[in-house]
Amino acid sequence: MKTRHVTRRDFLRLAAGTTVAAGLGAGIARDACAEAVAKVVLVRHAEAVGAQGQTNGEILQAMLDEAVKTLLGTREPVDAWRMLVKPSNVVGIKSNVWARLPTPRDLEAAIRRRVLEAGVAEKNLDIDDRGVLRNPVFRNATAVVNVRPLRTHHWAGVATCLKNYIPFVPDPPSYHPDGCAALGRIWTLPIVKNKPRLNVLSALTPQFYGRGAHFFDRRYVWPYKGLIVGTDPVAVDTVGAHLLQVKRIAFFGEDRALDVTPHHIQVADKEYHLGVSDLKRIEVIRLGWSDGVLI
Amino acid sequence: MKIVTLLVMAIWAGAGTAVVGAAGPAGAHRAIVLPSVVEGWMWDGKELRYDPRTVFDYIDGAGEFFLAYGFRRLAVHRFEKPGQPPLTLECYDMGSSEGAYGVFSFERQEASAGIGQGSEFGGGLLRFWKGRYFVSIFADGEGAEAESAILQLGRQTVEAIRETGRLPSLVGLIPGADAGLVETSVRYVTSHILLNQRLFIAHENILGLTRQTGAVLAQYGRDAGKAHLLLVRYPTGTAAGAAYRRFLTVYLADAGERDRLKTNDQRWTIARQQHSFVVVVFGAPTEEVGDALLAATERALRGVR
Repeated sequence: MKTRHVTRRDFLRLAAGTTVAAGLGAGIARDACAEAVAKVVLVRHAEAVGAQGQTNGEILQAMLDEAVKTLLGTREPVDAWRMLVKPSNVVGIKSNVWARLPTPRDLEAAIRRRVLEAGVAEKNLDIDDRGVLRNPVFRNATAVVNVRPLRTHHWAGVATCLKNYIPFVPDPPSYHPDGCAALGRIWTLPIVKNKPRLNVLSALTPQFYGRGAHFFDRRYVWPYKGLIVGTDPVAVDTVGAHLLQVKRIAFFGEDRALDVTPHHIQVADKEYHLGVSDLKRIEVIRLGWSDGVLI
Repeated sequence: MKIVTLLVMAIWAGAGTAVVGAAGPAGAHRAIVLPSVVEGWMWDGKELRYDPRTVFDYIDGAGEFFLAYGFRRLAVHRFEKPGQPPLTLECYDMGSSEGAYGVFSFERQEASAGIGQGSEFGGGLLRFWKGRYFVSIFADGEGAEAESAILQLGRQTVEAIRETGRLPSLVGLIPGADAGLVETSVRYVTSHILLNQRLFIAHENILGLTRQTGAVLAQYGRDAGKAHLLLVRYPTGTAAGAAYRRFLTVYLADAGERDRLKTNDQRWTIARQQHSFVVVVFGAPTEEVGDALLAATERALRGVR
């Protein structure tokens, strides 16, 4: 059987035959529409992050509460969390500890507080990142809440919610080929499958551009002061990747290429059916501070 | 108290045993002695050490980038000064100067900072290479004082690294500034995955790149006038011939018997094999520009096997 090779020329043909508006550049549906099949809440607050980068815990709690209430249509945050987790659940809060841009402790605490208020026993709740495979709570978890910062990434294009589950596999590098295209497969493994409840992408200080494996450059980090929240990880990541792209265009005057394209998000949609990667089919509900919202 | 103690980075000593200034036999590592203080920042006395098995713990799952260039060991030092952001020094033993240069070149985008054998400084991050070592130094915050200390720490580290290394010989075989070379665009790559991150060619490894087949990618000209040159050296002429034919078959399949094609972006791709080398020009604005770049490369390759 003849092998079909995908080469640079396929992309050149595509660029020559279609408008650049395809895919991530297509733009978000500005209002709820009949075709929208995924809902994502973008909540921002001008005081969420201070001048020195410190987070405001009370404001983060309020932002999270507003986002979750809006997402699930409840009047009180605890009611929304009771829709996400049951008192009988064993809950892992999958965070991210990358030293240069970790999940803010205040945000972890805000989630933890609401999970406990929803009735989950403290002994059945834990927060972890790289130790999840050794953590008894995560090994026995029946529900997982996903929270991590939004940034670019050397191997995956962007590091967002889909990628945050890579510590659930014993051999992470095996997912690196082709721009980490198969990251979505992790979400189908028994340790994760049917357990995700909520995805919180911290866009408080996102990194919109970077080079290399261990690259962090404050020139490319900005105080967006937002959270992107949803139950659909693909939709949340699509919105996050779009935000970074729009920021790159605004900053550089062009969409400066990342080390790899974040096509793992589309693969998670088309191959693993984890959610919606078409911006036109994602309803983004914007709450709070609107200065410099970009999307 | 004046700190005069010189601290030994033991990353090259193996199993935690420091070797002080040991100029051993060929292949043995030599210790590097670092200063413990720079412009008021003091080393906190801790050294984080990583090897190819544990480097993933430090580099967010992307340690294989360094592994692709032959990474051996990493030592991380942190320096602190009251009221100032801490500094972090990462010293990677890449096992060879080719590996050290490769890591440096792959991510370079700034002008030289004049430190080591190749360097750049921007956004509070200093990167340089010298000998078999690639070093990055950065601050967890901004400020003129921190930037000054980063550069000074870099200079002192350069002094501590006694050895120098050679550039990959391939780098010397590509046309230079007179042909329009963009100096900061020169990348030395050792796998098709790395190549694809800088210029996507194909998902499959159609050029057969391995650690044994060095390759250099470089940009010539800018904006609409730019083109990319890829030069690959194979262990044998036979291997080069096989890779060349595979490239023609897969990438230039509709070029007939020719070594060139105008692609859908209205730019030219031209490929050539010379002895154990394969040269490809991607995205030349005109056929003439592509031919000129190819000819300049072929002149440099004359007599080289």
